[in-house]
Amino acid sequence: MNTTTLISDSALVSLYIAGKESAFEQLVNRHKNKVYTTIFLIVKDSYTAEDLLQDTFIKAIHTMKSGRYNEEGKFSSWICRIAHNLAIDHFRKEKRSPMITLEDGSNVFNNMSFSEDSAESLQIKEDTHARLRELIQTLPQTQREVLMMRHYAEMSFQEIADATGVSINTALGRMRYALINLRKKMQNNDITYDKNLYSE
Amino acid sequence: MIKTSTQNELIQYVYNDLADDACEQLEVALVQDTELADSCSELLLIQQLLDDAAKAPRKHVIDNILNYSKNLSLRS
Repeated sequence: MNTTTLISDSALVSLYIAGKESAFEQLVNRHKNKVYTTIFLIVKDSYTAEDLLQDTFIKAIHTMKSGRYNEEGKFSSWICRIAHNLAIDHFRKEKRSPMITLEDGSNVFNNMSFSEDSAESLQIKEDTHARLRELIQTLPQTQREVLMMRHYAEMSFQEIADATGVSINTALGRMRYALINLRKKMQNNDITYDKNLYSE
Repeated sequence: MIKTSTQNELIQYVYNDLADDACEQLEVALVQDTELADSCSELLLIQQLLDDAAKAPRKHVIDNILNYSKNLSLRS
């Protein structure tokens, strides 16, 4: 067992500020997929999302290295907040309408472990995930926002309530409707949970 | 019919965002209420699916970030 995976984000940040580059590598690898997904769900373009992912971590590097990092919150929430803000800024600058684009998947890797899966089940999984990402885009904006903040940015419901200027019950209600709507859309689009595919 | 407040607590529960005492009460209810347990199970499945649907950037993008950090450290 690799004990380095047990080191907290907070400890890794401290080690990185003290000059340990390997600590930063662990932080990046630990959070890259959720940060990238947070951005991708806003900008809807893999290449733009990758550019903004780099900008996000570069901003984080400068903040940590200059001693301006605030220890109070969770690193995951902080980095995803930077990503979210950069993605929203980009979206506003581009003035793009939220088009739902199909993905060809050829330029992205998925975070799943494929080693023991057949080619057919891999394709089914990837198709399911791509369609699920498309369905997330079709949720009402307030529901999509809460879902992204909670699920991918790992913000607490109280943090989401504060960030969006609503009560915690409203944030919870939006999350509940987001998940209910997602489930309905999955059923309507014939996306089913295959428990054989998802069992460990 | 599950009460809205309980449904909200269920959301907080599956996201580890529920206070300890409320957690204990909900876990007691989950054992006794099949409908609630089914809802919880459904939420956990969607959660798993959302986790798996996360995308990953290409390797060279991560290499760029790590190299930027290393170069900055060398300069300072």
